[in-house]
Amino acid sequence: MADPPPQHPDAHGDIRGEDPGKAPVGGGSPTGPPRWVKVFGLIGVVLVALILISLLTGHSPGRHMTGGLGGQATPPMHPGAIGVMDRDGPVLLRGGAAS
Amino acid sequence: MTVVTPRVRQFARTMHVIASVGWLGAVACFLALAVAGLTEADVPTLRAVYLAMDLTGWSVLVPFSIASLLTGLLSSLGTRWGLLRHYWVLVKLVMNLFATTVLVLFMTMFIQPLRQLADAAATPSAGAELHSLAPIVHTSGALLLLVAAAALSVYKPRGLTRHGQRTQQRRASAPPAGTLR
Repeated sequence: MADPPPQHPDAHGDIRGEDPGKAPVGGGSPTGPPRWVKVFGLIGVVLVALILISLLTGHSPGRHMTGGLGGQATPPMHPGAIGVMDRDGPVLLRGGAAS
Repeated sequence: MTVVTPRVRQFARTMHVIASVGWLGAVACFLALAVAGLTEADVPTLRAVYLAMDLTGWSVLVPFSIASLLTGLLSSLGTRWGLLRHYWVLVKLVMNLFATTVLVLFMTMFIQPLRQLADAAATPSAGAELHSLAPIVHTSGALLLLVAAAALSVYKPRGLTRHGQRTQQRRASAPPAGTLR
């Protein structure tokens, strides 16, 4: 019992193993990527660039923290605390209390 | 030539849907916790929030993301959709790899330190210093990415990669091979 061949590369909307590649490529030139791929690619490049810039400039994870702005708001810690909050976010210490 | 049997294909596809939908749902729950992490002032509550985020992140989000990746690979490689033939499959693969990598980094660099800070906070008034926008930013981004991936899976926008075009040309020039299943 074979499934009928799809009229569109994605006609069946599943991955049952039919030949999905019969129709011409839509949304772009025969060899170039479609427009939607370019849009996704552009968004991806921007995202990766932002991540790289944030890492390279020391704009590391905890920059989004509100409590560490100005580097002054450090939470009170128990003796033997394991971390402090500075302007770049959580910074782990080892066995020492935050000052 | 498809090596994977139809039964294995269906199983992989079922697992892929379960893992991906589970991942999406878990991220939605994570977002609720992230909002609580920003708005709650009570330190014990924040401790509970970051503990819950740490646990669900490592025990639900990461396993679901890896399961989604593996079952997606099996589903694509086991059929003629292929992994590198159609742009929508390739884009989904890149999105999955990106999301999984960022998730692991996020858990390591944000959630674990936040949990430890919340555990170490001595006074209830320290709650304001434990507020963080980062989980909301990252979780919202993950949610958008997963919704986009789900939309790609449903709509399957057209577009063959160069590899897919070559494969299609080879197949078109080859003699008919009978029923495709």
